[in-house]
Amino acid sequence: MIVAFDFILLLFVIICAIAAISVKDLLSAVYILGAYSFFMCLLWAEMGAVDVAFTEASVSAGIGTVLLIAAVSKTKRRSKD
Amino acid sequence: MRILALITVIITGIILIYGTVDMPDWGDPNSPASKHVSPGYIEEALEKTATPNIVTAVLADYRSYDTLGETAVIFTAGIACILILRRRRRQRK
Amino acid sequence: MFDFILSKYNYWIYVILMMIGFYAMIGKRNLIKKVIGMNIFQTAIILFFVSTAAKRGGTLPIIEHGHGHGAHAIQATAYINPLPHVLMLTAIVVMVSTLGVALAVLIAIYRRHNTLEEDEILRQQQK
Repeated sequence: MIVAFDFILLLFVIICAIAAISVKDLLSAVYILGAYSFFMCLLWAEMGAVDVAFTEASVSAGIGTVLLIAAVSKTKRRSKD
Repeated sequence: MRILALITVIITGIILIYGTVDMPDWGDPNSPASKHVSPGYIEEALEKTATPNIVTAVLADYRSYDTLGETAVIFTAGIACILILRRRRRQRK
Repeated sequence: MFDFILSKYNYWIYVILMMIGFYAMIGKRNLIKKVIGMNIFQTAIILFFVSTAAKRGGTLPIIEHGHGHGAHAIQATAYINPLPHVLMLTAIVVMVSTLGVALAVLIAIYRRHNTLEEDEILRQQQK
């Protein structure tokens, strides 16, 4: 655990979270959520939880993003807020 | 409606931040979470399960029924997805 | 004071992340935005649990020279706490199955109402 690295990663995570819920295009929101998951995975690798980190990288950032892209392509891409 | 949501979220956040004041410090070796049962797992995992990775030892040896239940959860989720998406398609015909 | 902030700031950032997800769940009207908010909420809680396992001066929970003779004693303070990692590994898998079922329900709603905005769905149901 390195405090400066941890702080920078937490800052990136918060920026990605705010961008993911405020973007109007849903496909961009899904991509930003994938980036959020990868930053989260880096944060866990930095905390020493390597098993959790690669599970997150494969399951949440991989399969979760694929599922969300499939759902957005089946439905509408624009959102009002 | 949006103002109400914002007020609810901010009140929840203030209550949670008030709760973190009593939490142990980040990275404290003497925190309650790492004092109670986890030293036992760390010291005995290698000789009981012959697995150097303690996370794998706990996941697949000590708590293997938990992992079996997790597989059941994924199976139920897959079946639920198939059932939800299939019934609509049949009604449309 | 500075030590207090340095030892608690990451808990406050987790609370802020949780607030962002919670606001997206109850304040946004688009249903996919609500699902994204639920994902952020769950990830913040998992992050909180993993951070309770961190130990200053500890390495990864993989025992060095584990396949050797095993003659040396294992110090519990030299390795970080593995139990929250195991529980959160289960929680991540449950999170993804929740996401899958939520998206399936959402596609079913779109086929029936032809929209994903919450107020339009409510207006169609009140007719």
